Amino acid sequence: MNATVRALVLATIAAAAPAVHAQGFKPTRPIEMVVHTGPGGGNDVLARAIAAMIEKEKLAPVRMQVVNKPGGNGNVFVAYVAEKRGDPHTLGLFTGNMITNMLISTEVKVTLRDLTPIARLVLEPAVIAVKADAPYKTLADFIDDAKKRPGQLKQSGGSITSRDNVVRQLLMRSTGAQWAFISFPGGGERIAALLGGHVNMMVIEPEEAGEHIRAGNMRVLAQVSERRLHGFPNVPTLKEAGFDVPVVPQVRGVVAPPGIPKENVQYWEELFRKLTRTASWQKYLAENQFEDGYLTSAELAAFFDGFSDRMREILGAAGIKTVR
Amino acid sequence: MEILSSLAQGFAVALAPANLLWCFVGVLLGTVIGIMPGLGPPATIAMLLPLTFQMTPAAAMIMLAGIYYGAKYGGSTTSILLNVPGESASVVTCLDGYQMARKGRAGAALGIAAIASFVAGTVGVLGLMLVAPPLARFALAFSSPEYFGLMTLGLALVVLLAGRSVIKALLAALVGLWIASMGTDLFSATSRFTFGQMELLAGIDFIVVAIGVFAIGEVLANIALREGTQLLPVPKGLRNLLPTWQDLKDCRFAFLNGSVVGFLVGVLPGGGSTIASFLSYGLEKAVSRRRGQFGTGVIEGVAAPEGANNSETGGALVPLLTLGIPGSGTTAILLAALVLWGFKPGPLFIPENPTLFWGLVASMYLGNAMLLVLNLPLVPAFAQVLRLPVYVLYPLIFGVSMVGVYSVSGSPFDLALLAAFGLLGYLMRKLDYPTAPLILALALGAGLERALRQSLMMSGGNLAILVERPIAAVMLSLALVVLLIPLVGRLNAWRLRALEPDGG
Repeated sequence: MNATVRALVLATIAAAAPAVHAQGFKPTRPIEMVVHTGPGGGNDVLARAIAAMIEKEKLAPVRMQVVNKPGGNGNVFVAYVAEKRGDPHTLGLFTGNMITNMLISTEVKVTLRDLTPIARLVLEPAVIAVKADAPYKTLADFIDDAKKRPGQLKQSGGSITSRDNVVRQLLMRSTGAQWAFISFPGGGERIAALLGGHVNMMVIEPEEAGEHIRAGNMRVLAQVSERRLHGFPNVPTLKEAGFDVPVVPQVRGVVAPPGIPKENVQYWEELFRKLTRTASWQKYLAENQFEDGYLTSAELAAFFDGFSDRMREILGAAGIKTVR
Repeated sequence: MEILSSLAQGFAVALAPANLLWCFVGVLLGTVIGIMPGLGPPATIAMLLPLTFQMTPAAAMIMLAGIYYGAKYGGSTTSILLNVPGESASVVTCLDGYQMARKGRAGAALGIAAIASFVAGTVGVLGLMLVAPPLARFALAFSSPEYFGLMTLGLALVVLLAGRSVIKALLAALVGLWIASMGTDLFSATSRFTFGQMELLAGIDFIVVAIGVFAIGEVLANIALREGTQLLPVPKGLRNLLPTWQDLKDCRFAFLNGSVVGFLVGVLPGGGSTIASFLSYGLEKAVSRRRGQFGTGVIEGVAAPEGANNSETGGALVPLLTLGIPGSGTTAILLAALVLWGFKPGPLFIPENPTLFWGLVASMYLGNAMLLVLNLPLVPAFAQVLRLPVYVLYPLIFGVSMVGVYSVSGSPFDLALLAAFGLLGYLMRKLDYPTAPLILALALGAGLERALRQSLMMSGGNLAILVERPIAAVMLSLALVVLLIPLVGRLNAWRLRALEPDGG
């Protein structure tokens, strides 16, 4: 909660600041937007959407091209951006998973924290879903059943460091219930496991769940977000459902190489602030049921620190060793 | 006859001149990127996505799907000609396709690949059209224990892929399993066999190993043999370049096998075209009367996997379109495309967008026919590549291999890995170790381990889950049968020898 207040204060200060923005820098050659997935991955699709919007809204004098640097769980991407030290025409898109990954990998020499934070853009909320014919009407029903049969109920999800498991860890810690977490590498397999009745529950992105709910295959018990999403006006948030656990969003945003000049940082900050104010961006967020997560460079740096601390604690409690 | 009227409606969409043109553009692009190793359908579709916003959704979907199944046609070309698998689904095509090319039958191999792709691709679309909704429910019955059974069945085929020595085949398979275990473990987030290298955190890409061991290893071994600079035989005349009637007759079962296995594996969200191609190859070999000749250039050994990886496309569209569940990288990006165009892929997609669905189905019939017409005349042209003297051909193979690997990851580290696996392939040939078991074990290893651990997490550590569920039990029994076939064969041979009075 403290972090939110601080973020709000910083946001107010920052809102006044752009008046003196960046006369010093303007990109003169195409902007390289580096992503950590191959074409078609989550950040790749986001980067291409951003490039199209920047062009459409004429926000920059040059084009933005997407560069794919997959491999090493996102660490190849981080190393690549870090090597571009001082380059004013390179940017990268990060996800919150990179923070988690850097906490647990000894192999990693440079981390996301070595890069220059530019802006946080997107918060992706989630919902907790069960199969439509499951006996659970509320999250409390599920938790009660899990308490009655410790370790018997199952949740399908991504890797053990993913947001899905973090939500589970937080819920298990606050309620004392225990259930199993089964990792599937692909999102499709996670949903198939739930719909096939092989697991009891999953944490799913609202957009993905939407159609299965409409078809009557899935039911949503609660939403992992601070406010109710417009697609789920009748579903309680975790807090409203009586579970006061921190909301862990999936975050995405922009970083730049280390050692770039101050006016450069200001230029990017302003560019993405303008982007997030455009109608195309708001439409994009609404269509995907994302939340506007805009934070300035300084706020993002603070967010990184707070997020790392929280994740370190959660991972530790889940029995995963952290190395930094 | 509701299907017929729906299909007629679909053809009305697909035959609209603009849609027909986009279908052609899609399959042509697909063929081109299929031929080039490296750049695959997901990358191409992602890059073309911005362009599709100017098109109608039907035209865009028809074109992108054309790229998807078109690439499966082209994928076999470099496998057959250069022993360089163009994509992971064409790895198994190398086994017999390249041997056929070495015997001067490159044209027949390329031709049968195109024909098998057409037959199975069309069957795949038929399946998508007729049985999509019930099959989607079947796919949901599949979970980790069933996948474990499926992968075990696949791995049992290692024994069939073995050359003279089963022990050497098993050793090679163990190396493949070891490579498959490298990287960050999904379940515990622990690094395994990364040797402190950041680049190994996500494991080693299957295609790097396949190209290294197959293509680079083969070239190195041939150079070491000092075969001289004689050219590979390429018969003259179109008639001699295409498959004969006898070839087609030999492939009757392969067409059926590829179509059915490919489609069924495609329907499973955890399946994929690589597994489909390996399974149909293994099945083909298991039931073939000339089992012993597989790997030396048997035409069914090309037809079955090439058919399977095309039929898989129709199958993979089943969970995508009926449930909104993507099973592979390409279907995931198609799903993203549908969302970007404003559709809501999910269980209600087909009922709410019948024109789009039926237009797509109709376009896939047309597209497969276009691909056959497009690919058959290319066969003689491509076969000429083998006329190149080896001092041109071998550097060409090195070049194609390196471009293929580099264009996937853009990482110099992967080029170093390619070289290392090339050396490994060379050593394996020198020491007479079969390379196919290593590749198959690598292709299945990660999925096998994952399915086993998921199953055990589901059952709380009880192994019985693997045999209590009927589908899993059937798969495991089949695997057992596959393992016993060679044993029975050997017993039989021993019995025959014992029966003969002079010990023959």
